[in-house]
Amino acid sequence: MRLPRIRFAKQRDELSEELRAHLRMAIADRMERGETEDEARRNAMRAMGSIPMIEDVTREMWGGVWLERVLQDVRYGLRQLRRAPGFAVTVVVTLALGLGAAVAMYTVVDRVLLRPLPYRDAGSLVQITEVDKNGERGWGNAFSDIAEWQARSHTLASIAFDDVEGGPGHLDFLEGKEGSIGVAHATVSANLFSTLGVDAAMGRTFLEGENGAARQEDAHTILLSDAIWRNAFGADQQILGRTVKVSREAFTVIGVMPRGFVFPFGLEHPMVWVPMIPGSTDKTRVKNVTPSYETIARLAPGANVAAATSEIKGIQRDVAAQYTDQDYRDHVRSVRIDRYGDTLVGDSVRKSLLALGGASAVLWLIACVNVTSLLLARATARQREIAVRGALGAGRGRIVQQLLIEGLMLSSAASVMGIALAMLTLRAFEHGLRAQFGIYTVLTPNVRVLGVLLLLTVISALASSVWPAIAAARAPIERALRQGAAQSGTGRTQHRLRAVLVVAEIAMSLTLLVACGLLLRTIYTLRHVPLGFRTDHVVVASMTIPNYRYVGRDLNKNLYAPLLERVQHLPGVESASMMTEVPLGKTFGMVFSFGSDGKSAADIRRSKIRAQARAVTPEMQKVFHFQMLKGRFFNEGDTATSLPVVVVNREFIREYEGEGSDPGKLLGTPLLSFNKKQAVIVGVLNDERQNSITEPSQPELEVCLPQIAPGNAFYWATGMAMDIAVRTERNPASVVPELRDLMRKASPELANSTFTTMEQVVEDSYGSQQLASRLLEIFGGTALVLCIAGIYGLLAYLVTQRTRELGIRIALGAQRTRLTALVLRQAGGMLMAGLAAGLLLAYATSRLVSTLLYGVKPHDPWTMAATTLILLAGGLAAACIPARRAAGVDPMVALRSE
Amino acid sequence: MTKSDAYKNRIELVQGTLDMLLLRTLQWGPQHGYGMVQALRVHSGEVLQVETGSLYPALHRLERQGWVRSEWKQTESRQRAKYYRITAAGKKQLSRDLGRWQQMVDAVAAIMQREPEGSDA
Repeated sequence: MRLPRIRFAKQRDELSEELRAHLRMAIADRMERGETEDEARRNAMRAMGSIPMIEDVTREMWGGVWLERVLQDVRYGLRQLRRAPGFAVTVVVTLALGLGAAVAMYTVVDRVLLRPLPYRDAGSLVQITEVDKNGERGWGNAFSDIAEWQARSHTLASIAFDDVEGGPGHLDFLEGKEGSIGVAHATVSANLFSTLGVDAAMGRTFLEGENGAARQEDAHTILLSDAIWRNAFGADQQILGRTVKVSREAFTVIGVMPRGFVFPFGLEHPMVWVPMIPGSTDKTRVKNVTPSYETIARLAPGANVAAATSEIKGIQRDVAAQYTDQDYRDHVRSVRIDRYGDTLVGDSVRKSLLALGGASAVLWLIACVNVTSLLLARATARQREIAVRGALGAGRGRIVQQLLIEGLMLSSAASVMGIALAMLTLRAFEHGLRAQFGIYTVLTPNVRVLGVLLLLTVISALASSVWPAIAAARAPIERALRQGAAQSGTGRTQHRLRAVLVVAEIAMSLTLLVACGLLLRTIYTLRHVPLGFRTDHVVVASMTIPNYRYVGRDLNKNLYAPLLERVQHLPGVESASMMTEVPLGKTFGMVFSFGSDGKSAADIRRSKIRAQARAVTPEMQKVFHFQMLKGRFFNEGDTATSLPVVVVNREFIREYEGEGSDPGKLLGTPLLSFNKKQAVIVGVLNDERQNSITEPSQPELEVCLPQIAPGNAFYWATGMAMDIAVRTERNPASVVPELRDLMRKASPELANSTFTTMEQVVEDSYGSQQLASRLLEIFGGTALVLCIAGIYGLLAYLVTQRTRELGIRIALGAQRTRLTALVLRQAGGMLMAGLAAGLLLAYATSRLVSTLLYGVKPHDPWTMAATTLILLAGGLAAACIPARRAAGVDPMVALRSE
Repeated sequence: MTKSDAYKNRIELVQGTLDMLLLRTLQWGPQHGYGMVQALRVHSGEVLQVETGSLYPALHRLERQGWVRSEWKQTESRQRAKYYRITAAGKKQLSRDLGRWQQMVDAVAAIMQREPEGSDA
């Protein structure tokens, strides 16, 4: 490789010429004074001194010499590395593995934990939530309550509120220039934008009326996100004042928000915002009538979360007293205030990310240690070369600089490769990242990540090459130059140092392996949790429901029933059913509770039930094959005109009737009012996992979808979310195109539905464990390989260094088996020390992954023992090759070799 | 021989005075390095012999500071040589150096000419 030398070349040539001219003039002068040409030349040169030295000193005046020297070192380093390609490749790959892991994890951490919110001074934004006396959140916050906080609070500068209809998964359809696109819409107070400190990029935001709500004149206006403005309207500059249709309703565009603005934070879909204008129900405090809102508030200057919490709690006592409904009042007893940023990332996500980040950092450290060890070995091998440079006048500083630059070159090459590895890793884990951390875009390292990479690269270079460089530069020149000196016990301390490095490497690898083992056991346990239903050969489609097309029409009769009928007749479909949410779906949670009217112990117990409610079609049992404990599941006979029926699960009975009650006893009991009649329990399901595999069964109540018509209390829910689950005879994925086609024909918006398999749903519900265990498998595996390579590298090197000594021993009659034992003993010593330290380290750190574990304790002795054995076996296997080579040394060859 | 005489009488230049002397030399007109050495030697009565090893680093330093500029020209004996010329900034620098130098000389002189106190009595 050619590096730029042009800049200095011209200047240098000029300097030489200048000095030559000087010399010529001096000679000419002397000859004029009568000296012969020879004499004159000799005297002039003597008077002038060493020309190369003058050039050197003069060049230093130019500035930028350091750069020239660096380039010189780079060229020299490249030559050295080209001469040892195996070494260079090993170092680069090792470091790249460490850097790649660290960068990949940091990219995720950066995105999930460190991502700045697109609001002004986001640190002082908080969320207020009304809670019951146990701290459980209620139904959201009523407008009247928010108004009261606004009026009386001094610690909060402003309180804004919003309502995202149907939850984050629910879509509306906006008619743009090229067809309709799915959008999420939020109803927001007018003071939201001033509270967040963000103004419209174009046009204006809503006009503020009483209590921060929007004014009546802004009714039917809309704010577009930058993405919608660009994608659906081609960045039309004339957009302001135009009418756009969202789910058939007409709105006037009054503004476009700046690029990157999103609220609520983390929604994946393009957004629109409509004004919240208080309606008549907003003045009430009546259960199931009063609308509820999420809040976001800004702390007043100087106020903190604790002060705000105690202030609003005080106000809330008066607020709660104004509720006439006892049950409703219980749910608004108190408030909780969290920083807005904290509400976005769950505690378990934070912990698992930090654990994984820590694991990747350990892997990086192992890589650095390994490279340090390699560089030490190389410095020993290069001792003579370095001594020659020293003898020729290179200062120690210069030698250290040169070796550091070599290290930096290696780690720069590694960082390029590392970033490629990181991107591959992120791509490979795209699905897991989306399911666990809600990352919907493809992650690419940003400027901050590149900054961290640069830092890590420099640290890697320094950490791995400073030590070897200093050791090499300090070595006495004269001894290294003497013949055969390299053989005569060079740097006993250096060998010990390398042994210590290998021990550290073993210890760190064991820590990673233990964490990996714990997660593998967790995954194993999770896979063997009885789910209560079958998951094979089931395709799931989460529908994006075009409710607006069915305003005033029965969704059930006009869309769902005919669609289901057609899906059931698709070739290869065994059975198909619809339900508001498939088990473990995490798409739409509906909670059913009884009013607390009575005062008896049973009434109070029943009022505490929070049952998972679902509307399902009778075919569900054919799709999922779950067990009925008592009674029957819904069937074709359950229609809109027949007797309303419900099915509950065993846990429901347990909470409804108390512990130890007979599940069959309640069959035929009327449970709730339904279509103005009493719905009776006709069946009891066995327990199953509904929300998460790690969560035990919750009480559950199912109603029959065909029995639900407009006007029914469950009807609204069927328009919010609906899944189709299809049991197939063939490979489930192969049904998806036909299914999608069928759905598109039923209504074009349905083509936007998400398709997955039940197995994937289950896989995703393993939670962060799945992702964590996969990542840790990679980290642990890499650590194991690096560690074995480290052990092998050191022993092989030692055997080579001691070839002559071993040869002499054999010549003097030493048994070859004893030489093998000699090497193995050395390996054993390092392994024992490393494993002992590693077990201590693992014992201390495995608690960090405890949030990820299920069914296994952080200090599980079996895992510790198994991983220790694996590492021990690997280490001894690595030692075998050098050990055999030691035994195979030919004394004649060994003695002749020097 | 002149050469050994010159060496016998040579005095070390005080730190920083070389720059001043070189700038001063260039005030008499553009000159190349060898010419400056000769000029300093002649005008100092054969006392100052500037080493080549100090001269060129100093000239290149002055050039980097912008106090002198250089160009290649023919000498009277029709040889190519690099001529240095003082710049406006260089002249300003020279007068600053000169002022400081004068102060220094006065200060040193004041101390050296003062009679020892004990001899008054």
